[in-house]
Amino acid sequence: MSQIITTVGLSKHFGSLKAVNNVNIAIKEGSINGVIGPNGSGKTTLFNLLSGYFLPTEGTIYFQGEDITHLTPQNRVVKGIGRSFQLVSIFPQLKVYENMVLSVIRFLKRYKTGSRFYLSRIDANKEILNDCMQCLGMVGLEDKAQLRSGELSYGDQRLLEIALTVALKPRLLLLDEPLAGLGDVEISFMLELLQRIKKDFTMVIVEHKITKIEDFIDELFVMSQGFVICQGKPSEVLYTPEVRKCYWGEVD
Amino acid sequence: MIESIMFGLTIGAILYLVSIGFAITFGTMRIINFAHGSIYALSVYLFMMVLPYVQNFVLALVISVVLIIPLSYLIERYIIRPLYGDAVHYALVATYGVLFATTDLIKWIWGTNPKLISVPTKVTLQIFDVDFPLYRLIIIIVAIAVFFALNLFFRKTIAGKVIVAALDDSTGVRCLGIDQYRYFSLVFIIGSVLAAVGGIIYSPIVSAEPYMGFKFVLLAFAVTIVGGMGNLTGAFYSAFGLGMVIAMTARVWPRLSEMMVFVVMAAVLLIRKEKDFS
Repeated sequence: MSQIITTVGLSKHFGSLKAVNNVNIAIKEGSINGVIGPNGSGKTTLFNLLSGYFLPTEGTIYFQGEDITHLTPQNRVVKGIGRSFQLVSIFPQLKVYENMVLSVIRFLKRYKTGSRFYLSRIDANKEILNDCMQCLGMVGLEDKAQLRSGELSYGDQRLLEIALTVALKPRLLLLDEPLAGLGDVEISFMLELLQRIKKDFTMVIVEHKITKIEDFIDELFVMSQGFVICQGKPSEVLYTPEVRKCYWGEVD
Repeated sequence: MIESIMFGLTIGAILYLVSIGFAITFGTMRIINFAHGSIYALSVYLFMMVLPYVQNFVLALVISVVLIIPLSYLIERYIIRPLYGDAVHYALVATYGVLFATTDLIKWIWGTNPKLISVPTKVTLQIFDVDFPLYRLIIIIVAIAVFFALNLFFRKTIAGKVIVAALDDSTGVRCLGIDQYRYFSLVFIIGSVLAAVGGIIYSPIVSAEPYMGFKFVLLAFAVTIVGGMGNLTGAFYSAFGLGMVIAMTARVWPRLSEMMVFVVMAAVLLIRKEKDFS
């Protein structure tokens, strides 16, 4: 398998704090990857570097062989990197289906052309609406398409965010704590959903609830104080002493 | 009393037109755009220059507004856009500089004396036994029409939805791969056009003077804050509400009338400070 995204000597410093420190990772195309680590170990900063919200202090990021270190977030989405956020990032004033439309308008032919597009009606294109409804069906929100997304329950907002990210048709899906704040039933639905879509994407998932996703990931990265201290199959990584020490505080 | 109410509605209408661009820029891009006052003042002076040539109020208004569009684009593209995402005070200082520069430009070209512009129609209407100038009624109607047109724009069009989404969460818009700057330029220009229209239609009621931009941009700031920072419907109500505050205070003590706006703003801020600045 070829590598979809590679970082070389990636570092991000905030003043004297080294949030991400000389990280060299290579994510294989089609694989499901987990990133764990204590709070403040640099997981979300790493995501922000990969998705372009931060520029690295040092280092390079290659996406499918191309140097994307200085690309803006929206151009990375166009290249094929989609991400979800730790705090749900949807547009509460918009209806559920309108959220979806915004996520697919890039694929409209007229998007790149003229000013008429600016003023075209949001529900004018049936094909786009069908795409949106299909994506909503995937996460089980098709009945709620006409609701204002701010009225959805927290769990549904999470699902909507996943649907938004998936609708971008990314090659690489970065999910920042998709299970955070969900109840048990919602967690099992989310896991089942991720299971269903995983064949279509390469995924990197930051998650605290490691036991929930353990069986599901191919490669696990453990971060501590900005470093990737360990990587490999989850079954092996989780039982190495240094991981147990930094993650659970165990010494033996 | 009825006179005061009508006066309040007129000022409210103007405040709304002038504030909407300021409110959108603040709400979507977190930029306090003092250069909005430059657009307001310059458009009035352009209008005075154009009017004698065309001899038609509406035509001169349209021409001046069209002339102001490239200028507002340049301000957005080269002064504000480089500062998106930076701390809020950078843009504040930069656009304040633009406001100073244009004010001096106005003084240099047109002089410091206030200039009078004649009202295009002197017709008055009888409303509840009070003579009310038709022209002021037109101003109120224009503002209400703009309110509904903007609502339609934000509710129905894709561009409108992108802006509403950006008001909620502009980082989120970027992570959808949307080039938000195209849409920001568009709303920036819409806002500038409305400020220009507001400035020009208000100019026959007051007079044009070089510092008018300063005065109105501060009022727009107050409207935006009282309306709820980026809440566009809120801006509509707050503009008319503050218009009433000005009119009612003017009845009692004219010299205090505009100061009262900022007293109200301060009160609203104190009540809401946790919510808005958290």
